[in-house]
Amino acid sequence: MKSSGLLLLCLLLAGCGATGSAPTSVQTDRPAGEFFESADYFVVVAGSGATAQNLAAKYLGDADKDWMIEDFNGSATFAAGQQVAIPKRPWNLSGVTSTGYQLVPILVYHDLAPQAKGRMVMGAKGFEEQMRYLKANGYRAITLKEYVEFVSLQRQLPKKSVLITFDDGYRSFLRHGYPVLKELGFSATLFIYTDYVAAGGNAFTWAELKKLSDEGFAIQAHSKSHGDMVRANAEGAAEYDKRLEAELVLPKALFQKNLGYAPDIIAYPYGRQDDAVVRRAKERGYVAAFTVRRQGSQSFVDPHRIHRIQIYPEMRMDDFVKSLSVFSQESIK
Amino acid sequence: MINSRRTRMIGLIAGGLLLAGCAAGPGGSGPATHEALIAPQRERAAALAAQGNLRGASDAWKVALTIDPQDAVALAESRKLDEQIKQSVGDRLSRGRDALKRNVHLEARSHFLAVLALEPGNREAFEALQTQVREVRQVNHTVRAGDSLTSIAQLYYGDRTRSEVIWETNQLPPNPKLAPGTVLRIPEIPGLPFGRPDPAPTAKTPPSGGAPATPGKTEPSEEGLYANPALGAAREALERGELVLALTTVDRFLGQNPRNSEATDLRRTVLLQQGRTLMEQNKLLDAYTAVNQLVKANPKDSAATSLLSQVRGRLVQQHYNQGMQLFREEKLPAAVAEWRTVLQYDPAHDGAKRNIDQAQRLLKGLEERQQKQGK
Repeated sequence: MKSSGLLLLCLLLAGCGATGSAPTSVQTDRPAGEFFESADYFVVVAGSGATAQNLAAKYLGDADKDWMIEDFNGSATFAAGQQVAIPKRPWNLSGVTSTGYQLVPILVYHDLAPQAKGRMVMGAKGFEEQMRYLKANGYRAITLKEYVEFVSLQRQLPKKSVLITFDDGYRSFLRHGYPVLKELGFSATLFIYTDYVAAGGNAFTWAELKKLSDEGFAIQAHSKSHGDMVRANAEGAAEYDKRLEAELVLPKALFQKNLGYAPDIIAYPYGRQDDAVVRRAKERGYVAAFTVRRQGSQSFVDPHRIHRIQIYPEMRMDDFVKSLSVFSQESIK
Repeated sequence: MINSRRTRMIGLIAGGLLLAGCAAGPGGSGPATHEALIAPQRERAAALAAQGNLRGASDAWKVALTIDPQDAVALAESRKLDEQIKQSVGDRLSRGRDALKRNVHLEARSHFLAVLALEPGNREAFEALQTQVREVRQVNHTVRAGDSLTSIAQLYYGDRTRSEVIWETNQLPPNPKLAPGTVLRIPEIPGLPFGRPDPAPTAKTPPSGGAPATPGKTEPSEEGLYANPALGAAREALERGELVLALTTVDRFLGQNPRNSEATDLRRTVLLQQGRTLMEQNKLLDAYTAVNQLVKANPKDSAATSLLSQVRGRLVQQHYNQGMQLFREEKLPAAVAEWRTVLQYDPAHDGAKRNIDQAQRLLKGLEERQQKQGK
């Protein structure tokens, strides 16, 4: 036993001495693609042209799980002969490590138009540039469902995840948002206030929303009237109670009737909420709720006060990029 | 025995290092045997453990065991590490719960985060952070003439668009006029450097070759240690008595420059100061935790050991007195618990030992009497 170990060491060292060839020409005695398997991992000797994608397709049965290989190994491409560890299941649900924790930037857009206008109407070209930036830099647009599972400690997300959301329900989305999102394979979420649906002009119809929903876009609640849900100073208790109830409950019936499900996630109008609003939203069956605050959201964020980052037309590309931090560095001991 | 085993283990790991270097080199993969495949994982596990990333190290050992489930080193190390993780998780959970009870939210936060770093799927820590820990770290900024929300946001976060967060945190009116002398709260924003006022607006431009570094105007770099704004900010925070901020700032710097002696010294000064302050405030357990870190890192640090023994003395006194109080109130099991705590800090404490014995005798007597009455 012992001597064979020594012999092996000699062989290896000798192999090491004979350097000079490029990594791509590395040959192994074992067939490329030889692999080992345990309950939690595969370990694979990469063949030439191995990528996280083709390994994910082969070993995990799903090329879209490439991020697991990429994040675990810190690389998406592998040289022939290189060993690759392939986790078979999530290994870090909360995204917390000894050097910090994962953040998901959640972007909010409103209306899109050929030309930017004011603070709330984003120019189509600027929007497209931002989406292409995300794609080119390896961001993955996750679905709302995936994000909610992340804040419930039920799903690990790719390190570079981003959630893209649109508020109010402007049908300009179909012309200026939808095509580029489709092209890039990006998912998006629309938060709709129901009084606006089918209001004519730039408002979505229920049929359009149904079609988007069937295609996998998440459609969720943004109240009934887009009124501030926080109690106004002069507002009587009974009056407020009735108003809040309507904002939270009426959209449910309309969604059910037109889209076939009741919303269980809400974006507060103007991002405004207080403890009373949060409590009522929970009571009415909303499992997650979004506000607006210029910071990324960690897995252990309060699920009824999830931060979203408003993107304004006047933001330069470098401002946009600064909003995309996916990790909060902190020495955790 | 133990020593010789450890030496062998180190030898094996060193062997692993050699092999790993080899396997990574061009043409060096050799025959893809178990040993050649496991070696890089050993190296990885050892490096991660050395960086304090125990979870990562544990994962690396599991990968090694995927290649060879019988690998003796991987089996032993993996088991040892998992046991260590399990113990730390239990310990930090209970300290986190305790901190919540005392309403010290930032301390609770650090314990629960530590649990998640060790065990990322730990539901108790996750839910505590999500629903119970309320405070975030923040500093105060006193408005000077010429300040605007965007200039302050640029100063603290390097991002002028974060002025919204300052606006919201301080509940300011729309388009506020900032009067000099007004104090604004500046909260930490996850993902951005915190408490490191960096006045350079063109942070992205790499410093040009020959230009002399201006203190406070340069990007932090691993070479420019003395001009480092991060350490400057930490020192200023220390001077202002903002110890938590000072510690966070210096820790963050150490995260990137683990061997920087200036930073390590500064960290020691901050922890000593923190220990003294906490002791004065009678937050003895927190003081103990702070100073104990220093003693563990360097048992020969005389300032730290002497402070630790002072804190320990006070802790012992406090728990002992608390025990006496409970004893007088006839709460015997609670009194015993207090004295047991005394023994944790001072195992030779005679008073505590005697009192425990006496209380237990009394308890036993009571029980017997109750049983008789029951019959």
